[in-house]
Amino acid sequence: MNDMNALHVEGLTKSYGAGEPILRGLELTVPAGALAAVLGPSGCGKTTMLRIVAGFLRADEGTVRLGDRLLSGPGVHLPPERRRIGIVPQEGALFPHLSVARNVAFGLTGADRSERRRVTDEMLELVGLAGYGDRMPHELSGGQQQRVALARALAPRPGLVLLDEPFNALDSALRAGVRADVRSALRATGATAVLVTHDQQEALSTADLVAVVRDGRVAQCATPQDLYRRPADPWIAGFVGDAVLLPGTVEGAGTALTALGAVPLAAPPDGLRAGTVLLRPEQLRLTDTDSDGSVRGTVTDVSYYGHDAMVTVAVQGHDTPVGIRVAGPLSVRPGEETGVRVVGEAGLHP
Amino acid sequence: MAGRTRTPSRPPRKPRTADSRPPLVLLVPACVAALFALLPLGYLAVRALERGPAFAWDVVADKRTLDLLGRSLGLTVAVVAACLVLGISLAWLTVRTALPGARAWSVLATLPLAVPSYVAAFAWLSAEPDLAGFGGAALALTLVSFPYVQLPVAAALRGIDPAQEEAARSLGHGPLRTFLRVTLPQLRPAAAGGALLVALYVLSDFGAVSLMRYDTFTRAIHTSYRASFDRTPAAALSVVLVVMTVALVAAEARTRGRAGHARTGTGTARPAVPFALGRWRTLALLWCAAVVAVAVAFPLGTLGYWLAVGSSATWDLGGLAETAWATLGVAAAGAGLTTVLALPVGVIAARHRGRGARLLEQAAYAGHALPGITVALALVFFAVRYAYPLYQQLPLLICAYAVLFLPVAVAATRAAVLQSAPVMEDVARSLGRRPWQVLREVTVPLAAPGVAAGAALTFVVCMKELPATLLLRPTGMDTLATRLWTETGAGSFAAAAPYAAVLILLAAVPSYLLGRHRT
Amino acid sequence: MRRPSVRRMTALVAAGLLLPALAACGSDDKDGGDDGSGSSLVIYSGRNEKLVKPLLDKLEKAVGTEVEVRYGDSAELAAQILEEGARTKAGLFFSQDAGALGALSKEGMLRKLPAATLDQVDEVYRGSDGDWVGLSGRVRVIAYNPDEVTEGEVPDSVFDVVKPEWKGKVGFAPTNASFQAFVTGMRVLKGDDTTRQWLEDLKANGSKTYAHNLATLDAVEAGEVSLGLVNHYYWYERVAEKGEDKVNSKLHFLPGKDPGALINVAGAGILKDGGQSETAQKAVDYLLSKDAQTYFADTTKEYPLAAGVTSTVEGLPPFESLQSPDIDLGRLESLQETLAMLQDAGLV
Repeated sequence: MNDMNALHVEGLTKSYGAGEPILRGLELTVPAGALAAVLGPSGCGKTTMLRIVAGFLRADEGTVRLGDRLLSGPGVHLPPERRRIGIVPQEGALFPHLSVARNVAFGLTGADRSERRRVTDEMLELVGLAGYGDRMPHELSGGQQQRVALARALAPRPGLVLLDEPFNALDSALRAGVRADVRSALRATGATAVLVTHDQQEALSTADLVAVVRDGRVAQCATPQDLYRRPADPWIAGFVGDAVLLPGTVEGAGTALTALGAVPLAAPPDGLRAGTVLLRPEQLRLTDTDSDGSVRGTVTDVSYYGHDAMVTVAVQGHDTPVGIRVAGPLSVRPGEETGVRVVGEAGLHP
Repeated sequence: MAGRTRTPSRPPRKPRTADSRPPLVLLVPACVAALFALLPLGYLAVRALERGPAFAWDVVADKRTLDLLGRSLGLTVAVVAACLVLGISLAWLTVRTALPGARAWSVLATLPLAVPSYVAAFAWLSAEPDLAGFGGAALALTLVSFPYVQLPVAAALRGIDPAQEEAARSLGHGPLRTFLRVTLPQLRPAAAGGALLVALYVLSDFGAVSLMRYDTFTRAIHTSYRASFDRTPAAALSVVLVVMTVALVAAEARTRGRAGHARTGTGTARPAVPFALGRWRTLALLWCAAVVAVAVAFPLGTLGYWLAVGSSATWDLGGLAETAWATLGVAAAGAGLTTVLALPVGVIAARHRGRGARLLEQAAYAGHALPGITVALALVFFAVRYAYPLYQQLPLLICAYAVLFLPVAVAATRAAVLQSAPVMEDVARSLGRRPWQVLREVTVPLAAPGVAAGAALTFVVCMKELPATLLLRPTGMDTLATRLWTETGAGSFAAAAPYAAVLILLAAVPSYLLGRHRT
Repeated sequence: MRRPSVRRMTALVAAGLLLPALAACGSDDKDGGDDGSGSSLVIYSGRNEKLVKPLLDKLEKAVGTEVEVRYGDSAELAAQILEEGARTKAGLFFSQDAGALGALSKEGMLRKLPAATLDQVDEVYRGSDGDWVGLSGRVRVIAYNPDEVTEGEVPDSVFDVVKPEWKGKVGFAPTNASFQAFVTGMRVLKGDDTTRQWLEDLKANGSKTYAHNLATLDAVEAGEVSLGLVNHYYWYERVAEKGEDKVNSKLHFLPGKDPGALINVAGAGILKDGGQSETAQKAVDYLLSKDAQTYFADTTKEYPLAAGVTSTVEGLPPFESLQSPDIDLGRLESLQETLAMLQDAGLV
């Protein structure tokens, strides 16, 4: 796809009535064809942003562009029906009075009958529901309804698709499958997509790009890897995944001294003498108690997840136990002594 | 810090329509409808102030006004309370329980709508003259107006996701507690809307209160026309009724609260599993039978009695058929126009919360408590001055029905639109539909059953309307209600009975449809 | 499936609404085109269609032009005419009672009738401004049940029905216009204080109230009450309907110009602005003709007021024998105070 479908959101502000602003200058750029996740806690303004981009709400200030088309801006408010933006709402919101095929064909207004049919069949096949056209929405499972909602949004070939927590209502077993199907369907059509979610796993696993929204602004926008590895601050670090945060003092050019010993820093301390050192649980290893380069600690809890386990260990010099993700067979039990060693580099935050 | 970071709860939704203005495609017709409904008020202003505000004030400030106010409100409260009990209990029994013959009961329970209040009052008085007064008026009015509550509540019950009740049961609530704590609060908008219609109906009724000799505002207004042929005091008193109406509408709006009542479960609700009545079955059946007996069988029985004992019974089948057909025609046209006018107002009332939206809805209600004679005279006033060619022609009569019954259709439309999630409309917009297309393809089809129910209801009330029909019908035209009036006025009760019977039978058809659409 | 049946239902309702509505509009076209040019006569009739339609059919023939009749309640029709003002469609107002005619007269909406018309009716039974004329009369009587009381025991004055021996034995219809006219007559004759006292006594005596005269008569028939204050013709209609042997009750005509023997009249007036005064005049003349007066006598069982017609109804006392009080019927429009009085007495 070309740049026609890149989304540019600039300086978006919005408040409801006289209350606190819900958006305070939100900026977001999504390259054409990319799937961006907008991730944030309740009330951060992500849904408001989505509704402004879709055209259901007017922004107080700021602009929304799709490619070179100005959708919202000072004195400009393109109505939703002229934006070429598809939406996939929570729980699908299929029209209960229309069959699956007619739901999907709903946006195909310009096309003739046979073209409508062709696109409908193509879209249903794309979401893996070929042959379901004659069903009524209430005859489908939740996951199927959600796929139809996607097919419906994609059918008119929108430049941008907005997905509003679309997997929320699905049970977790179903979720991963639907998520993967949605991603591949989006890829197949090449549409730019924005997925609004509060689920960091969903954001990291589905999106090409994740924008973390906090208090009406984008706190950080990066690829899932960068976001996870190099969060801009401890709050983001904790929000996008499990984090081990330790106070540390800088020693030399690239090391910080912490309760887990000396930890190499990923980037130069930039003049900082002390700060919060960020590690991920998978950067910690359990070792023998007297192993080289490790500190001693006591296992306080073990949570087993099958593919891995989380072991929490109390170490000296730090009042909260640290979490350690352990892959493979597990040999420790709560109360046992263990050694803890850091692998890889850590981030340092003021 | 350790442990999985998860945000467990779903973010609270912002008020979705907080700053969205209704689109012009809704706003313009809604304003037309509201202006239409405000016509009688314009007339009242002219007439009430004819002899200066001081005179009007003297009429209103009379000590009797306060007395009438108390009496009118007392009757209204009693009838509304009784209608809520009857309407909600019957709706629940027929929609949610394994009541034997539930569908038949729900149809039968709708039939009293077809009984004109004066017929009901008449029937009761002829059986028991001592009923005259507050009790009799309350009884007769309750028995003809409880379907106003039953119908919207039944529709709302069908729309509630049964999973919510199941959840409550699983949380250890018994059936009664579940009903009171989970179901009833969700029925509040529907019940309050119905109660408002009942209240306004009671305030505007003349037939029952005059026969039962219970003095209310409406009766005082009629008396003023009849006894002094003076329209100024009648208009001044009518203004008080309008003020009461506005207060009632505002009170109803408060009970709605801010809660959204669209379904929040997955896409489409499953049909509910009927609640097994167990040992309560007999009692439930008895209750339904008792209500139907007093509200339907009793007036029908009275008609039968009139037929049996009177010699004035003439089965002029041709005339009867012609009158019935004419009645169907005007009632259908009236219901059609009313529904079309009510649609934009109802959608705006459901989807937009601004002050403008509230005013529009209140405007639709403002004249609803006025007695038919006042509304009719208002239309005479305007038609003679500004639409003389329409005067005493069908279109004017049909407009009168729309003015009189707009709130009936508005309430039904509003409740129906509330039942579907606004997100459907957002999706349709994003798929390239303009507001009017969204209205046509999504909002209206989704609300169609409720809107149709409102149309059917309007149809029934148009059929039995009397005072405005008498004044505004084309010369020489008769409806079943005017025929009924003519025959009873001449004391020919036996001759009147077939017209009343046909009126009730015809109203049974829309009632049947209303009762049926549970599947 | 759930939705298709919903769609079907909606379609059914829509079709059900549309069909008759179209029919209604169609029939509207048919009889539209009311010219109002005066070639036809429009009568607003406050008298019941059942009672006067045959008469008005004959009237149509007699005046030789098309006659359209709008039936309604006399008071409401008067209000409608007042609201229509100069653009009224009515050529003739045929009222059930004098009050509604008086109201139009007061507003100057009625046309003065020629002396030749007026003179056919006793001065008592026509408008004091000479713009309406009475056509037929009905007299207030006491109906009694001979199983409960003998003819001799029936009081000769309404003032006696409040006596203790009639406690709980009297029925009346306080909302009936004729009853209210009678109370107004009592006020004119005996003063407000006496009337108020009488109403209070009536109530205190446990007299029973009914919705209308017929229900009162039924109560007398059934022995529920012994006496009923009604208009005379209800009884004669009942006799005509059921046969005299099947009617249990009897009537007592009050002597001595008792207020209880008041005569109410139905009458007619010509609208100044109706543009149909010529045909309307013909209609009034017809209504005063022997033909029409005989109709009142025979069919509605009323007293004819003109053309020297006497009632042939069996058992009906001759009009001349009635000892009714002398009241200017025009004064009966002070009904407002009567109603206030009835309300104060707790009777309406």
